[in-house]
Amino acid sequence: MERCLTEFETRPEDAALLDDIFRSVHTIKGTTGFLGFKRLEKLAHAGENLLGLLRDGKLVADRPLISGLLHLLDGLRSILRSIESEEGEASGDDSELIAELEALQNPALQLIGKLSEAAPKPVATKRKAQRARRAKPSAPPLSETSLPAPAVIEDRTQQTPETKPLIPEPEIQSAKLKDKPIAAPMASAAESTLRVDIVLLNRMMNLVGELVLTRNQVLQATAADPRMTMLSRRLDMVTADLRESVMKARMQPVSNIFSKMPRIVRDLSQVLGRRVRLEVEGQETELDKSLLEAIKDPLTHAVRNSLDHGIELPEVRAAAGKNTEGTLKLRAVQEGSHVLIEVQDDGAGIDVAKVCRKAIERGIISNERATQMGERELLQLIFVPGFSTAAAVTNVSGRGVGMDVVRTNVEKIGGKVEIDSRVGKGTTLRLRIPLTLAIIPALIVHSLGQSFALPQGSLSELVHVPAEEAGSTIEYIEGAPLYRLRGNLLPLVFLGQLLKAATDHAPEPRRDNFIAVLDVDGRRFGLVVDGLADPEEIVVKPLSAVLKNIGIYSGATVLGNAELALILDPGAIAAKAGVRISVHEEALHSADEQESGDVHKAVEYLLVEVAGRRAAVLLDDVLRIEQLPLSRIEYIGYRPVLNFEGKLMPVEDSGGLLGSAQIGGDQSKVIVVVCRERNRHVGIAVSQVLDVASGSELFESGTQQRAAGVTLLKDHVTGVVGLSTVPPLPSSDGESSEWAQVEEAIA
Amino acid sequence: MSTAAVLQKAEKASTLNEVCSVQVGQTWFGIPIPHILEIVGGARPQPVPLAPEFVGGLFHYRGDVLTTVSLRQLLGLPPKEGSQDMLVLECSGGCFGLLVDLVGEVLTVSSTDYEPNPSILDQRRKTLLAGAYKRKGKLLVMLDPDRLDPLRLSQHAASSC
Repeated sequence: MERCLTEFETRPEDAALLDDIFRSVHTIKGTTGFLGFKRLEKLAHAGENLLGLLRDGKLVADRPLISGLLHLLDGLRSILRSIESEEGEASGDDSELIAELEALQNPALQLIGKLSEAAPKPVATKRKAQRARRAKPSAPPLSETSLPAPAVIEDRTQQTPETKPLIPEPEIQSAKLKDKPIAAPMASAAESTLRVDIVLLNRMMNLVGELVLTRNQVLQATAADPRMTMLSRRLDMVTADLRESVMKARMQPVSNIFSKMPRIVRDLSQVLGRRVRLEVEGQETELDKSLLEAIKDPLTHAVRNSLDHGIELPEVRAAAGKNTEGTLKLRAVQEGSHVLIEVQDDGAGIDVAKVCRKAIERGIISNERATQMGERELLQLIFVPGFSTAAAVTNVSGRGVGMDVVRTNVEKIGGKVEIDSRVGKGTTLRLRIPLTLAIIPALIVHSLGQSFALPQGSLSELVHVPAEEAGSTIEYIEGAPLYRLRGNLLPLVFLGQLLKAATDHAPEPRRDNFIAVLDVDGRRFGLVVDGLADPEEIVVKPLSAVLKNIGIYSGATVLGNAELALILDPGAIAAKAGVRISVHEEALHSADEQESGDVHKAVEYLLVEVAGRRAAVLLDDVLRIEQLPLSRIEYIGYRPVLNFEGKLMPVEDSGGLLGSAQIGGDQSKVIVVVCRERNRHVGIAVSQVLDVASGSELFESGTQQRAAGVTLLKDHVTGVVGLSTVPPLPSSDGESSEWAQVEEAIA
Repeated sequence: MSTAAVLQKAEKASTLNEVCSVQVGQTWFGIPIPHILEIVGGARPQPVPLAPEFVGGLFHYRGDVLTTVSLRQLLGLPPKEGSQDMLVLECSGGCFGLLVDLVGEVLTVSSTDYEPNPSILDQRRKTLLAGAYKRKGKLLVMLDPDRLDPLRLSQHAASSC
């Protein structure tokens, strides 16, 4: 009903909407009268009277009237709530509210209200027509003919602001006609759906998690047995499908929280004197119920922020040559395994200079630092706790507990917050939310002879420090270990030492070290582990309170080999190891990189060297990079193949590396980049892996056609390895025919 | 059974209780059967670094990750090498595992043989044990699963520190 009302405000001519509202109020009145809730009935009755006049066209809906109706709704709701909790109607006085509603029925008052509203009215009507047209592109002839309609409405409302009923325009009729058939299937959909207890759903989710674990174990146990491979693969598929279905069952459309926004925006914009239009997109995007709950507050906060700090007062907007009415856009869209929620306003944007001044004022950064920092890095400062640029503390926002709360809440559920702002143009806040919480991708690491799971969400990169280099590359300042990562010092935390609670910070004995570079809560540090294992999809199992109190574990999981692994909580480790929240250049730099990657849709490539030439492989396609002895490469006829995780994979050797390496004997090693190409895996033999870089597309001069197969990487035109051109393996007979068949079955 | 009958039974001086006997070190302990969900032989729980001392590790039990309590550690005995037997116990706070050296047999004891904790017992043990049954030749020291609940144990540890 709330949504109906706010919508009704923008489309006062929509009779169907009004009917809807009328019906709900009438239902409330009817039932409450029957049940004997006198107070509720009285209030509903007053509301119904008003709505009746409105429906008969004796009144025209305008802002004060809608406000009155919203108050009515609030009143009804609070009574209903008290009935729900106390099983009785709380006593209270509604006479004021009823008087307000009655006053609204008075046409004379109505007239005054309308005169003050008369000026902005045409704008609203016109926009409404525009929106109607945009919303119904499937009916072009009707919209076409209705083009002059807005003008007609405009005239009528201005000439006859009295209580003259509005004659429905042909366009509105067409809209209604179009709405009707949509409503019909909705009703039948209700019959084919079922309410399910959330407890049952949670239990199903747990069981499916169990199944995923068992599947992982089965897959590992049967990997060696070719007869079982097909069976376990099928189990794998069914499990994946089942998991998806159960997850889908827990999904709810974001409209559940988006639908609260029109009211919030409306109320706030009145309080703040803003004129704001809310546009909502992607309402049907779905998200796990628990996550939906979790982002409700951050999202509300972001919207409030946009209204208070973002969109300017109408006069200011007019002076800046903008439409006096600001636009707030809420957009939800699914991107891979994440849902992206955008809060975009066309307001003043964030003045980086102002942010910088404030930050120096509050001692968050030093003067010298500020001069070194780029615009994007400075923007990140708004996420620092206690930061606020609002000139005055209002009751809406400005206390400086804003953006950091948004970020903390979103990161708590494994999401990310990004911000993009241009002065005078507006601000876009992006919340990146994972689809589900129960099953997360994690990297399995080893330390102290045990396995631990490290959530991938906070992992930004992995660095291998060979034993012989460990002594020289890991440096110490007063016993604090540091690593030079691309010229910046990265604080290190030795997982082994942390877990042993060792007091001595003696350098680790010389051996291979792996540094997992973690980014969490704005802290960046390297976690040193003894070994890395595979990434795995893990099912998070809760820990008992005793173990949770230790603080560095967020849960436990069962690995594919039936071993238990504790899930490390990177944020807690950082806190425990004393890694400060730092507005560290490196941290910002990476966030910057990531963001710009998102904004410009730049594609990341793995830059490799093949026999002296540089080539690029799409990073998204790369599964892993293997260094293996040449003897592992086998041949079917002349074609090199690799037995990779029990499956045969063709190896593309354009540079003739394998041949030349052969001369070095069987001891020599080759580097194979394992890529995913549609359903199969393809290996690419390379001489060296150079870097990861984002490339931009190249256009042929003159024709502006996109050049295929090449990209601009680090200012060099680089060829992209076309994976699809690697011919499939022969599927006919031969000693490995069985493997080939399996391969084909996958493809 | 009517309420009156239940009351009568409770008042009756000697009720028979079934307890499972477990051995840790040289002592035999008894655990009331109704609290035991399952007995797992040869359990190798996964150690948890930084956990309180009494925690024997984690154990995967029917889809849940159980925290286990090592009775040896609780009693201040040196840890035992190799696998141990584990009892899955249910208490008011949920389920947990109890690691013992050996699970013995199910015994029937009479409440007339029951004797509360002796006053000479040190405070720490007093909080763990729940009296003893005088059996032929030997005492059977009773354990109360509710007192062995890891959460309670950690609270005790915190308060005694």
